[in-house]
Amino acid sequence: MKVAYWPGCVSRGFTPELHGSMEKIAPKVGIELLELDRANCCGAGVIAEHNQELADTLNARTFALAQQSGGAMMMNICSTCQGAQSECQERLDASTEYRDLINENLAPEKLSYEKGITNKNFLWLLVEDIGLEKLASLVKRPLDGLRIAPFYGCYIIRPTERLAYREHPERDQYLEQVIDVIGAESVAYTGSHKCCGFPVITMNKETSLTQAGRHLGDAIDAGADALVTPCPLCHLNLDLQQPEAKKFVNRELGIPVLHFPQLIGLALGLEPKELGMGKHVVSTKAVAAKVAAMAVAA
Amino acid sequence: MPNYVLNIRRFSPESGEPAHWEKFEVEMEGHRPVLDAILHARNTEDGSIGIRCSCQAAICGSCGVRINGNPALACNTLLRDAVATAKDGATIDIEPMGNMPVIKDLIVDMDAVHWKKVQRVVPWLIPAGEPPEREYVVPHEAMVDVTQTMACIHCGVCVSDCLSMEVDPEFVGPAAHAKAYRFVGDPRDAATETRLRDLAEDPHGLYDCTHCFKCVEVCPKGVSPMNQIMRLRRRATGDFKIKDANNGYRHEKAFVSIIEKWGTLHEAKLLPDSYGEGIFGKLNPEAQKQLIASAPTAVRGVLSGKVPPLKVIHHHKLPDQKKIKDIYKKIHGRDDRIELNLYIVGEDADALAAESAPAEAAATAADGGES
Amino acid sequence: MTVGIISKIHPVRSHSNAAQGGINAALNPDDSWESHAYDTVKGSDYLGDQDAIAVMCSEAPEEILHLEHLGVTFHRNEEGLLGTRAFGGASAARTYYVADITGQAILHVLYEQMLKYDDKIDRYEEWFTVALAIDENGRCNGAVMRNIRDGVIELFRAKTVILATGGSGQIYKPTTNALVCTADGQAMAYRAGAALMDMEMIQYHPTTLLGNGLLITEGARGEGAHLYNAAGERFMEKYAPNKLELASRDVVSRAEQTEINEGRGFPDGSVHLDVTVVPKKRIHEALREIVMVGRDFAGIDITKDPIPIRPGQHYIMGGIKTDVDGLTDIPGLYAAGEVACVSVHGGNRLGANSLLDTLIFGKRSGHHAAGVAKSMNMPKISAKQVDDVRDEINAIMARSASDGRRVSEIKAELGETMNDKVAVYRDEEGLNSALEVVKRLQEEAKTAYIDDRGTIFNQDVLGAIELGYMLDIAETIVMGAIERKESRGAQFRTDYPERNDEEWLKHIDIKLKDGTPTIEYSPVTITQWQPQERTY
Repeated sequence: MKVAYWPGCVSRGFTPELHGSMEKIAPKVGIELLELDRANCCGAGVIAEHNQELADTLNARTFALAQQSGGAMMMNICSTCQGAQSECQERLDASTEYRDLINENLAPEKLSYEKGITNKNFLWLLVEDIGLEKLASLVKRPLDGLRIAPFYGCYIIRPTERLAYREHPERDQYLEQVIDVIGAESVAYTGSHKCCGFPVITMNKETSLTQAGRHLGDAIDAGADALVTPCPLCHLNLDLQQPEAKKFVNRELGIPVLHFPQLIGLALGLEPKELGMGKHVVSTKAVAAKVAAMAVAA
Repeated sequence: MPNYVLNIRRFSPESGEPAHWEKFEVEMEGHRPVLDAILHARNTEDGSIGIRCSCQAAICGSCGVRINGNPALACNTLLRDAVATAKDGATIDIEPMGNMPVIKDLIVDMDAVHWKKVQRVVPWLIPAGEPPEREYVVPHEAMVDVTQTMACIHCGVCVSDCLSMEVDPEFVGPAAHAKAYRFVGDPRDAATETRLRDLAEDPHGLYDCTHCFKCVEVCPKGVSPMNQIMRLRRRATGDFKIKDANNGYRHEKAFVSIIEKWGTLHEAKLLPDSYGEGIFGKLNPEAQKQLIASAPTAVRGVLSGKVPPLKVIHHHKLPDQKKIKDIYKKIHGRDDRIELNLYIVGEDADALAAESAPAEAAATAADGGES
Repeated sequence: MTVGIISKIHPVRSHSNAAQGGINAALNPDDSWESHAYDTVKGSDYLGDQDAIAVMCSEAPEEILHLEHLGVTFHRNEEGLLGTRAFGGASAARTYYVADITGQAILHVLYEQMLKYDDKIDRYEEWFTVALAIDENGRCNGAVMRNIRDGVIELFRAKTVILATGGSGQIYKPTTNALVCTADGQAMAYRAGAALMDMEMIQYHPTTLLGNGLLITEGARGEGAHLYNAAGERFMEKYAPNKLELASRDVVSRAEQTEINEGRGFPDGSVHLDVTVVPKKRIHEALREIVMVGRDFAGIDITKDPIPIRPGQHYIMGGIKTDVDGLTDIPGLYAAGEVACVSVHGGNRLGANSLLDTLIFGKRSGHHAAGVAKSMNMPKISAKQVDDVRDEINAIMARSASDGRRVSEIKAELGETMNDKVAVYRDEEGLNSALEVVKRLQEEAKTAYIDDRGTIFNQDVLGAIELGYMLDIAETIVMGAIERKESRGAQFRTDYPERNDEEWLKHIDIKLKDGTPTIEYSPVTITQWQPQERTY
C-alpha cells in the first residue's frame, strides 16, 4: 500500500537510525513510502502551547500535502507527531468554520485540508492494515528468547477518545502483540505506558530524567534485554540521556532501547548494522549478539 | 444475576498488619456501579471496609479509587465496564488512589497532598477594587470557559496518577493548576499576571508538567487539567512575556523560532537556545551551567555516530520555507490569538452550529419573557 | 470571636453540590420580589409563612449579586449580563444558574472564601457531631464530636451553634439525596427539645432516573423538555394546561404517578422525559451534567433518546422550627437550610428556592448568632456529655451479631417502607402500618450490630448513630402525615383528597416531651396573599 509518509524531524535529526530502518523495512512489509519532504514540524505540542492557530495551520499544511500525495493514508513513525497532529485534527474536523479559517492561511500555497484524513503511527498501521497474521508470515528470524520491554510514549495512548480507541480499543496493547508475533517475549513492567519525561528535559531535568531512569530500571529489573519504542523523543530520553538518567535514580542502568522499526527489521531478517543499531548511545551489542545467534529462514 | 468478584486492597493502621488484598463476591446487575458493589459487600459482609462516598452521582468527588490500576470514581464506573478491564478478565481490583498517603483501606489523605496544593494557588477571586453595584459584565464565552474548571469536583483522580507528581511530589499538579486557570480565565480576576508569574517561576509549577495526558484521560468531569496548564503557559509567555527561571519561556520561543526559520526541528540548536537566548543569553552564568551540564550528552550523541558533527551546525531548510514564514507572519500579526475551544463550541461543532439559530431563540426567550 | 466550621465530610463533598438547576431571585428590572413571593406562597399551597417568604424573596437579588462578586461563574447572556432560565411554578424566568452545576459552583466558591479567611475560620473537616451540649437551663452551649480520623471525642464549647446539616433523604430508598443526608441536625435538635415543623411535607422530584433514582434537573424542563406517557401523550396538558411541565413539583410528580398507577406508564414503571426537543447546542452548554448522568449511569445519549424517569424522594420541606433569624426553640441554637423550617416552603418547595433558602437564612443566622456571641462570655459546660457519648459508642461496638440485625438491614427496611407508604399518595392504613414498622425498627436499632471496632475512620459506628437519627425523624414524618387529614402540597391523602383550609391551614409541630413525640399546632402567617384554589 502507498502511504503519505511523514518521518518527523527527530527521525532525520538526532535519531537518523529510525528513518533509516523504516525505509529498509517498508518494502518488506508491503508499504510504499511517499515521503512528505516539503512538510513541516508537527510542533510537538509546543507550538500549540504557543499559538493554537499556528499549530493547526502547520499541521493542516502537512495533512493537505498528504492528501495531495496519492497515498491511501498518512503514516508517521513518531508517537509525538501522532499525538500533536491528532490534537490539531480534532479541532480542524470539529468545525467547518474554523477549518475554512485555517485553510485561508494555506491559500497562498494553494493548499487546502479536507476533513477526515486518516493518519496512523506505523505501529497502528502495521497491526490494523497489514495485520499480525501477515506480519507473522513475513518473519524470517523469530526472535526467540529475546525479552523486550514495550514503551509506547504518551502521545499514542492518551487521550483515548481523541486517538480513536473506541474503534480500536487494543491500541495500547499492540506493542506486546507484535513482540509476541515476531517470536520475542514481551516483558511486563510498570513503566510501559508511562511518560519518558522528555517534554520537560530543558525545564526540569530532575523530573524528566527521574521518569526515564525509573522506567529503564524497572525494565531491567523485570529482566528485559531491551526496550522498544515507537517514539523517537522517548528514545532521546531513554537512550541518549540514559547515562545522565542513572544519576537521578542512583543506580546502574545500561539497557539498549530499540526503535520499533528496528525490532521489526530484525525479525524480518535484516542485520543490526543495516538498521543503524550501531548508532545508539547505549550499546546494542548484547542484543545484536543474541540476534546473530538466531537462525534466519531463507 | 451475574456474580462479580471484588478484590479490595485493605489496610488498617491499627491492626499492625501490612496492607493486603481481600476478595468479596457480589451478585449484582452489570449496569450497577462499582460503588454499589463495594457498599453491598460492606452492608452484608464486612462493615469495616473503608471508603469515602456520598452522592453516588459523580458530583461530590468522594469516591476516587483505582479500579484495575486506573484511577476513577467508583460511583460512575459500571461493573460490566470494570470487569472488561480486569487483569484476569474476572476479578475487579480496587485499591486506594496513588500519590497520596493511605489512611485506611480505600481512604487517602487528600489534605496532605491535594488540598495543600489547591491552597498553594491562592484559590479565591481577587477582583480589582470594590465590586460594581450590579454584576460584573463578562463575556458569555468566558463564563462557559471557566465553568469547565469550576466543574472540577476535587476527587483527586488526576492527582492519583499524575506522572510528574509520581517523581516530583512537590509538583503543583493537575487539579491545582486547573483551579489556577479557573481564576486566570476569569475576567473578573485582577491578579492574572501575579498568578502566572508565581506558577511559571515555581520549579514545581507550570513547567513541571510533562504533558502526558494522564489527567485528561482520567478526569471524570471533562476538566482536562493538562489543557488548562497549556493555556496557562500560553498566557504566561504570549500575553505577559514572563521569562521564567525554568526555561519555559525560552524553550517555547526557541522551538517556535526554529520552525519559523527551518521548518523542521534543529535539535542541536534547541537545547542551547532553551538555556539562553542569543549569544549574550548563553554567556549568562546560569545558562552556562546548564549548557555545561548538557555537554556530556551532546558529546555522547556525536560519538555514537547518530549526530554527525556537521548536523550540529548545519540544518536543512524546507524548500518552501518562505511560505512557512508567511504563515507565521500572518498569524503573529493578528491582534488576538484565535483559539477554537471545543469545550465551548462542542466536539461536533458543525452539528451544534446547524441548530444554533433556534438555540439562540430559546436562550433569549428564557432570558426575558414569561415561561 | 472565632468561628469554627465542623463537618462530618469535607465541605466540598456536601449535598448542596446536587442542586443543579439554579437559584431564584427577582433581579430583572421587570420582575419583582412580590411576584417571586406570590409564586412561592402558591407553590407552598399556602402553608408557607408569608412574612418569612417576603424576607427570603426581597433579599434574594442582593444575595445573587453578592455570590457573583465572590466569584460564582453564573451564566451570562450575550450582553455579558446575568442570564436566567425558566423553572417550575414561576411566573417569570428568574432562575440564575451555572450550567447545571449551580449548587456545586456556589458551594465551591464559598469554600474558596473559607480558604481565603483561613486565619479567621477554624475548619474541622471529618468531625462527626454526636450530640448538642445543652446546659441545665436548656441553652445550647456547644456540641460533642468524634474526630473521624482518630476516634477522639471532644466537647466543643460555643456561645452559639448553627446547624446547617442538610436534609434527611436517606430515610427513603431510593432517594436523590446523598448518603450523608441522614437527618443528623434535625434529630439532635429534636432530642434536645426543639420543635420540628411541617415534617409530613416530603417532596418527590418529578424527574429522577428510573433504576437508581439519580436527579435529572428541573432545568431540563426549564429548557423546554417534555414529558410523555407510553401512549406518546404529553400528559401534563391534562393536569396543568397552562404551565404544563413547569407546574410545581408536587403537581407534576402526582401527574406522573397517576399515569403510572393507571397503566399509562411504560412497562418498566417509568414515564419519559424528552430532552431531544431542546436544541443540541443549548444542551451542550446548559445541561452538561445531565448528558454525563445519562451517559454514565443510564447508558443513553439524552440528545437522542428519551430518559426513563419517575418521581423520587428529593427534599423535606419540614425541619427544625426557626424564626427568620434562624433561632430555634432552644436558646443559643440556630438552624438554616434544609435542616430548618422557617417555613418558606410550606407544603411544597419551588425548584431553585432551596439554595436561596440556605443562603438567605444561613446568612441571617450567622449575623444573629455573631451578634449574640459578641455580647456574652464563653459559657461553662460540663464534660459529662463526653462520657455519655463515649459510653454510647462503646456500647454500640460491644454489641454482637447474636444480639440483633445489621444496621444496614434496618436502614434498608426503613427506606423501602417509607417509599412505599409515605410517598406521593398516602392513606391512613398505609401510614399506620408505616408507623408500626418505624417503631419496631427503633426497637431493633437498640441491638443492631456493626463489624468495625476500630478508631480510625470507623464509618460503621457512625452508621449506627445515623440510623438512630433517621428513625427518630422518620417517626415524626409519619406522625405528621397521619395527623394532617387533608391533601395539601406534597401531602396527598387518598382518604382526604381535598385541601381543607378551615381545619388544616396550620402547621403541625412535633416536640419530644418526656421522651414522647407530642403534636402541637402553630398558625400560618398570612400577610397579603389569601388562600385561593391552586391551578397551574
